[in-house]
Amino acid sequence: MEIIEKIKTNKLDDKQTEIQKICLHKLQSSPLPNPKSELWRLSNKSKLSNFLDYSVNQRDLKFDIPYPKNSQSTIRLIIGENCQIKLLEKNYSIQQLSEDELHKYIKEQISFFKQNENWSDLLNLSLSCKNNILGLKINGSKIPPIEIFSHASSNSLTAKTLVIFLEKNCDVELLQVNLGKENSSLSQSTFFCLKENSSVNHGVVSYGKNRSNLLNSLNVIQQKNSAYNLGSLHFKFNYARFEISIKQSAGNAKTNIKGLQITKNDEQISTYTKIEFNGPNGFLDQINKSLADDKSHAIFEGSIIVPKIAQRTDASQLSRNLLLSNLAQIDTKPQLEIIADDVKCKHGATISQLNEEELFYMRTRGITLTEASKLQLSSYFQEIISFIPISKDRWDLLDKLLNEN
Amino acid sequence: MVNENLVKDVVKEPYKYGFVTDIETEKIEKGLNEDIIKLISQKKEEPKFLLDFRLKAFKKWQKMKEPDWAELGYKKIDYQDIIYYSAPKQKEKISSLDEVDPKLLETFDKLGIPLTEQKKLTNVAVDAVFDSVSIATTFREELAEHGVIFCSISEAVKNHADLIEKYLGTVVPASDNYFAALNSAVFSDGSFVYIPKGVSCPMDLSSYFRINSGDSGQFERTLIIAEESSSVSYLEGCTAPMFDTNTLHAAVVELIALDDASIKYSTVQNWYAGDEEGIGGIFNFVTKRGKCLGKRSKISWSQVETGSAITWKYPSCLLLGEESVGEFYSVALTNNLQQADTGTKMIHIGPKTKSTIVSKGISAGNSKNSYRGLVKMGTKATGSRNYSQCDSMLIGDQASANTFPYIKSQQPNSEIEHEASTCRISEDQLFYLQSRGIEFEEAVSMMVSGFCRDVFNQLPMEFAAEADKLLALKLEGSVG
Repeated sequence: MEIIEKIKTNKLDDKQTEIQKICLHKLQSSPLPNPKSELWRLSNKSKLSNFLDYSVNQRDLKFDIPYPKNSQSTIRLIIGENCQIKLLEKNYSIQQLSEDELHKYIKEQISFFKQNENWSDLLNLSLSCKNNILGLKINGSKIPPIEIFSHASSNSLTAKTLVIFLEKNCDVELLQVNLGKENSSLSQSTFFCLKENSSVNHGVVSYGKNRSNLLNSLNVIQQKNSAYNLGSLHFKFNYARFEISIKQSAGNAKTNIKGLQITKNDEQISTYTKIEFNGPNGFLDQINKSLADDKSHAIFEGSIIVPKIAQRTDASQLSRNLLLSNLAQIDTKPQLEIIADDVKCKHGATISQLNEEELFYMRTRGITLTEASKLQLSSYFQEIISFIPISKDRWDLLDKLLNEN
Repeated sequence: MVNENLVKDVVKEPYKYGFVTDIETEKIEKGLNEDIIKLISQKKEEPKFLLDFRLKAFKKWQKMKEPDWAELGYKKIDYQDIIYYSAPKQKEKISSLDEVDPKLLETFDKLGIPLTEQKKLTNVAVDAVFDSVSIATTFREELAEHGVIFCSISEAVKNHADLIEKYLGTVVPASDNYFAALNSAVFSDGSFVYIPKGVSCPMDLSSYFRINSGDSGQFERTLIIAEESSSVSYLEGCTAPMFDTNTLHAAVVELIALDDASIKYSTVQNWYAGDEEGIGGIFNFVTKRGKCLGKRSKISWSQVETGSAITWKYPSCLLLGEESVGEFYSVALTNNLQQADTGTKMIHIGPKTKSTIVSKGISAGNSKNSYRGLVKMGTKATGSRNYSQCDSMLIGDQASANTFPYIKSQQPNSEIEHEASTCRISEDQLFYLQSRGIEFEEAVSMMVSGFCRDVFNQLPMEFAAEADKLLALKLEGSVG
């Protein structure tokens, strides 16, 4: 773990930004997360150490976008490459955050960070150089869909950061694609700030290649009357963690989350979500699906926190899991922490395999077992995939999942 | 309309078990070290294997750290400030109940557990434990006719040493956790039950635990063995006087069910919970575990937890035998400043095992009530099933309800279902009841009782009525 040694001895980079310095300082005393803590207990230690084995890469090689742009109107950005953007149209504007705005916001966020809970973000911000931080301010409506790419480079660790401000009454569709390369580690941190009455359909699609690793963290702050819809998909990573933290800062906001993670071979993919309601009338509908095959391990931990102030919160969380092999493992822990009394909160969790009766029915109709299983899986995936913006019509994720896996 | 009358009876009642029995007791000095353990063992005239068991556990305990993962906040326990053995002074050997100190009999009478020949409860055999020792066990002869052994664990050590040596510590090993290790080192008394092959126990067995002394802890140990094709229903009740200090209660319960055997273990826990400011009350750290060793064996836990300042309790089932069944039905009520972190563990090891979890938590006042559970499907648990349901009800905006279910599966041919909900008392239903002339507080009690119905239905008759009463009593003044 070369990087950890460098963090300890403060030998990372000569030209550190102020943010890097603050984060490094927070990490120096204990540069690794506590393996006994609830958030890291199930995390595979050797896989995490493999993540940290690569040296930091700050200059990207030429990146080939995996699929062509279908519509001219889509705005496509690659973190680390074309960080210059300024679009001022009649209905909308998209422009980069000034350095001051960016630093002020990130610094404010860091002040709430705890070493263990926000370890992934602290590591990201310690390693992410100026080039690899993209800050955007989006305003207006009828905005063309936005695609943002973040990619790893082989044999190195890449850290990329994205900060997005959605101004008041803004409405946007945004797809974030995280791509792993062979033998690579990618650390991606995203900060979203939704101002009043804004709404976003946010898609996060992360897929890797042989032995690629990912630490993906997403921090969302929702102001009053905002709506945040997230559709996420993680697959083909040797080791991946998706950490979601959503705070409804004054309640009266809506959050919808639909996530899917697929593990094969000896992969480990985990999703940790923490949803805090800091005001009344909050709404949450969350579903997280996992599929574990071969010798893989899928983990979901979700917590919903409803303090006294969050009266009339309506939150539901569902964890649905398919376990397809004798050697695979699934851990799930949906949890509720509630103090407000006038709330409706529920959660559910199931772990099972493909429905045998349905398989039997299809086979009696002449469908082969493989086809029948594919059909069942496709309906299992479809609910999540249809929730991911942009991708649904032109980039057939479902086919990719069913045929490549 | 049972509830209505019951609620009326008790609404204005304070903690009625809070009295202290003024009786001469024999106490050893405060503190915990090897000499104290040797002294306890010597007082109980124990065989060497048991003293070795205690000393080994003590060594392990010294190396362990008090667990801090539970959602509980309490002041640090000074383990050297506790008296580990306290017993009422009485004649050396008691041949009949007539020789028991009348004050003790009176105490249990007041608690609603009459032990004397004329008054004793029909069809329930009782083992009454007062501080560190067992006072009396009723119906022993009748039970002996069926080959059932029901006595205090100290007697069992003397008379059935082979069984104790074979089974003690096999379900909850001394090194299991901090409090189990402490109990293994210093346990003073408790109950022992042995149901021989093919016997269905003719009556319910019951233990009643009473803490009387304010500065001594209670560390009882219960061991129940159900041989092939046998069955037993066991009830446990607990109370303590009101002291403004905290008393430690760290018990261990071990159940073993062999082929086709079934054990039903019911608890109504009503230790003193402390006053409204949270002063005093029992710290209840209990390890309860059952092992379904045999094929088609069944262990069922039902509990009503209403007392204690702190409750840390996870009755569990290890489902080893093929087609064995584990059940857990629980109502946990917290009020004022009480804190409860309770739940269960269902570990499916054998094939075709089944488990059901129904947990109802009610938090009122400034209390904290957490459900913490684990359901685990091992690699060999093919065709196994689990169903869990945990519901929480919040009364007042200062109480908190948490749910932490851990679910782990390594077996694709198994099914796990878990659901949980949190709600408050429905205003529509309250309004309906009030419009029918039912007082507000009564209506709340009825609704709470309805909320807990699934669990109460699993309790033996005597307990179900008591549990209903208890809930109403505990909720007094917490609504509105």
